[in-house]
Amino acid sequence: MNPIAIGVFIVIALLTLGSGIMVVTVRNIIHSALWLIASFIGVAALYLLMEAEFLAVVQILVYAGAVSILVLFAIMLTRQVTGEGVRVVFERWWVALLIALGLFGVIVPTLWQHGSTWEEASKLAQVGPAPVEGTAAAGLQVATATEIGRSFMGEYLLPFEVISILLLMALIGAIVIAYEERTRRRRVLTLAEELALKKRGIVEPRDAEGAVVALDSEQA
Amino acid sequence: MVGSVPLVWVLTLAAGLFCIGLFGALSRRNIVGMLMGIELMLNSVNINLVAFWRYLQPTGTAGLVFAIFTIAVAAAEVAVGLAMVIAIYRARLTINADEIDTLKG
Amino acid sequence: MADALTQLGFASWLSVLIASIIKVTLILVGGSVGMMFLTWYERRAISYMQDRRGPNRVGPQGLLQPISEAIKTMTKEDATPREADRIVHFLAPVVMLGATVLSFAVIPWGRMFPVDLNAAVLFVIATGGLHSIGMMMAGWGSNNKFALLGGMRGVAQLISYEIPQVMAIIPVVLMTGSMSLQKIVEAQNDFGGLGWFVFSPVGLLGFALFFTASLAEGERTPFDIPEADSEIIAGYMTEYSGMKFAVFYLSNYMSNLAVCFITATLYLGGGNGPGVDALGGFAGGLLSLIYFLLKSFALFFIMVLIRATVPRLRVDQLMGFAWKFLLPLVLVNILSASFWVALLRWDQQWPQLTEWFGAPSTADATNWGRLAIAVVLTLLINAGAVALIMRLTNRNVQKHLYTTDEELALGLS
Repeated sequence: MNPIAIGVFIVIALLTLGSGIMVVTVRNIIHSALWLIASFIGVAALYLLMEAEFLAVVQILVYAGAVSILVLFAIMLTRQVTGEGVRVVFERWWVALLIALGLFGVIVPTLWQHGSTWEEASKLAQVGPAPVEGTAAAGLQVATATEIGRSFMGEYLLPFEVISILLLMALIGAIVIAYEERTRRRRVLTLAEELALKKRGIVEPRDAEGAVVALDSEQA
Repeated sequence: MVGSVPLVWVLTLAAGLFCIGLFGALSRRNIVGMLMGIELMLNSVNINLVAFWRYLQPTGTAGLVFAIFTIAVAAAEVAVGLAMVIAIYRARLTINADEIDTLKG
Repeated sequence: MADALTQLGFASWLSVLIASIIKVTLILVGGSVGMMFLTWYERRAISYMQDRRGPNRVGPQGLLQPISEAIKTMTKEDATPREADRIVHFLAPVVMLGATVLSFAVIPWGRMFPVDLNAAVLFVIATGGLHSIGMMMAGWGSNNKFALLGGMRGVAQLISYEIPQVMAIIPVVLMTGSMSLQKIVEAQNDFGGLGWFVFSPVGLLGFALFFTASLAEGERTPFDIPEADSEIIAGYMTEYSGMKFAVFYLSNYMSNLAVCFITATLYLGGGNGPGVDALGGFAGGLLSLIYFLLKSFALFFIMVLIRATVPRLRVDQLMGFAWKFLLPLVLVNILSASFWVALLRWDQQWPQLTEWFGAPSTADATNWGRLAIAVVLTLLINAGAVALIMRLTNRNVQKHLYTTDEELALGLS
């Protein structure tokens, strides 16, 4: 038993769960995205604790560095910074709460019931300390980035190729979906133009189909 | 770590994160908020994969490889999902899920 | 260090703790003193390039100038805008500095490695990616249009340049077969400590690309669009003053220092050089540290030189440069790196190679034939790619620069 490891685990668990709760409860969606980053970093720390160094770094690089930034960009581009008095959750949010709590109530007792069998299995699978260089192998080593690379190029070659095609398709798809034709692009109005339109009582000129045509002003 | 923190604790942490994410995905009106809940759920699944790898099969790579696949799929999902959010916002000027109720774009 | 403490009679966990604290303190002190020296160095160097003298009054040659500047910023008023998001506004510089300091955890000082992480190379890039969060927080939390503009520009730039930066490292990882910085430094120790990657065609192109992308990551001129002071005041730093501004400044220069250190480690052989192995022991370590610092400050001199000579890019030019110039070259470089590795190392994967050119090099005997073929082949590929892409870029630029009279008359431009 190592008290330091337990203490570190508890701190990480509190960070991850606490910021997770903040993500789903905070009113301001940008604060929620920032708490999401904190939660991602907590998960990365957990990976480090479990000696999955490569995965921890990938977690920070992809989730904390890219996905969260993408989320922040999307929030800012859609300008839905919710202020006071606006509903941020559905009316029947308590149903969702019940479902989530119920699921938690089902999963956790099941886990603890099977805890002892896993404990045995994990004792069997223990690995020794990493062998010192130059000496004979002092025990098996935890799989590192090298082994991950080998299995990507060997055992999991087909899934690896499929995932690369998926990423390419997502790239193209995202561009096609978010692309805006130049002719339909809304121009940012000068302050004078905006005031003149507001004076005439026009807030959002729309075409026949109800789509916004020319303006980029605050939502009514 | 393996000697001192039982596997069940890690799995309970993952379960908690999953339920938090589920609540977020179900209750938020904002589509981006829903996506954030889904991200939390995917992360908790990754914790499970890595925990099982570390405790039960530390010399293999299956758990790690699966976690990396999940990360890649999640990245693709976020990219396409947020692109759709932006496209919806352009057409409707809202990203609240209950206000987007017609099929016509 | 921990072992020595244990021998002195400390408990094992206590000695680990004390050793870690000493290491962390050394890194922090080294990083911030290095940053202070860097500001003085940059100002002096750029002064001489612009035919003036620069700070030379406080202390010998103005060396103590950074200290007086630090005292000045600390005594200034720390103002927060009334409408700002106070917590986010306060946390942004903390996140920036934290990310920078994290990257120093794996950066070697000569041959001294604070932490030898398995995925150290990727770790440095990941901590660089965390900067974008700090920028976004600073830009949004200030509740200022210029700050938000600067933050958005900065984040878009960081994300775009992260891709060529990561991919420029792949050739190094391919040639070494590891992502640990220690292994990378060891792999560059051939030829009496001069087997640096920068001397191979693959490494040379990789060095140029990585350094350029890193300039953009560190927001150095000509890529300093996020804080272009003549356009958007100071970008995301507009609403910061006093100590918080100083923290931004500190993190900026520390990350520049980190970029120089990492480039020196990856491509210029880290602490390797003639005589290090011959001396060995403590003297060798000291010599390697001197070599390493010399290389890093030479790199920083190049940064200053670029700042003094190249004008700032426009936003569209910036993005075009990342996606249309750096990215294709980086991909070509990965291709030639794989040729390089195949020609120098393979004997089992493709036995014909051994049949044709002889066995690959070992520690004792270098196979000069294989080396020569690899150099010629990769040089051809890389030089061809650079020439082609430069030509295409030039043609594109000219098309945008010059419009003919007919086009103007027809309103086509």
